[in-house]
Amino acid sequence: MSQINENQIHDRLKHLSQVEPTKESADRAIQKGRDALIADEGRRVGPAPPSLIGRLMKLAAAAVLMIGAGFIGAHLSTPEPLDVHELHAALESSIKSSLEPVIRQELLSEMDDRWQLALEASNAKIKDELSRQVRRDLTEFAAQTLAASGTRTEQRLMELIRLIEAARIQDRRRMAAAFDYIESRFGNGLVTLAARTDELLGAERAGPAPDMSAN
Amino acid sequence: MSSRQKELLELLDKSGADLYALLTRLTLREDVAEELMQELFIKLNNSRGIGNVANWKAYARRSAINLAFDWRRSQKQTVLRLGQVAEPVSNDDSPLGKLIHSEEMRKTLDAVGKLKKASREVLIMRYLQQESYDNIAEQLGKTSHQVRALCSRAIRNLRDVLGSNEHKSSKKEIHNVSNK
Repeated sequence: MSQINENQIHDRLKHLSQVEPTKESADRAIQKGRDALIADEGRRVGPAPPSLIGRLMKLAAAAVLMIGAGFIGAHLSTPEPLDVHELHAALESSIKSSLEPVIRQELLSEMDDRWQLALEASNAKIKDELSRQVRRDLTEFAAQTLAASGTRTEQRLMELIRLIEAARIQDRRRMAAAFDYIESRFGNGLVTLAARTDELLGAERAGPAPDMSAN
Repeated sequence: MSSRQKELLELLDKSGADLYALLTRLTLREDVAEELMQELFIKLNNSRGIGNVANWKAYARRSAINLAFDWRRSQKQTVLRLGQVAEPVSNDDSPLGKLIHSEEMRKTLDAVGKLKKASREVLIMRYLQQESYDNIAEQLGKTSHQVRALCSRAIRNLRDVLGSNEHKSSKKEIHNVSNK
């Protein structure tokens, strides 16, 4: 089944091993890798939190602890008990005011990250699609050019054949005209010559030629 | 700067050129190799759950090989097909000769991509990176004899894959001709 031997495989692998990038492109690639690494690290340790839910939980727990401590302090320091509804409203507004901006900021940064990831993915997809499209267009263009050139060549050949045919017809006409002319000009003379020649030949066949010197 | 980033920058300085050369050999395109190089280091930086990697170089090489063959697979549908040329018909430097040569390289790399991961890695280290058997054995934690056996088996498998591909190609060509 195998049509290729091991020596050929070794040759091909050797050729591949001899592929070397240029020094400039290697330096450029290393620099790009370094830049990407630093940029990526900066993004990871930047404003984006490792886990949104964990941080929110911590903030909520801290807020509840602070409010609870305040409540206990107030309860111990005041002789009269607090109104439960009032306390509930105070707790609610306090939690809302402390958590709302943080949640908003967290959500915004999370959304930013997601947008960035989505854009990166779509960027790669667009690039891929674009290169595919260009290749397809080029192939189509090559096929169309080939077809057009074939048609053009065919047309030229047909034209050439028509011209040759017309020239041949014209030649024949000229030849016919020439024969007509010769016939009209020398036709009678030729007939006479043929008759005389025939007579002379007949006389030769009949007997010896008469002595012409006597005349 | 985290410790991982320091390690990766060090790896980039020490083995960046080798990794880039490997990516170029596997993709046969410098521009793609540059992109994959960036992608490789971003992946290494972001990969979670790998803990402390004892040998970053080996890990990076393995990731680079995987990235390059993933790219080859993704390109398989879009590359320009050159027909079913199986044997070189010209050894000169003519455009046709170069075209056939590059097609052979492409077919060989595609066949390497079809090997098992272990065979593929050993074959690449030995024949594309030209590393010694002892060096490969040390990096993979095997004996030199085991590495030799792996290389031999990989070449045999590669020959089978290439042979079956070319057999398929020639059958397809006959089919195409008979249809015309």
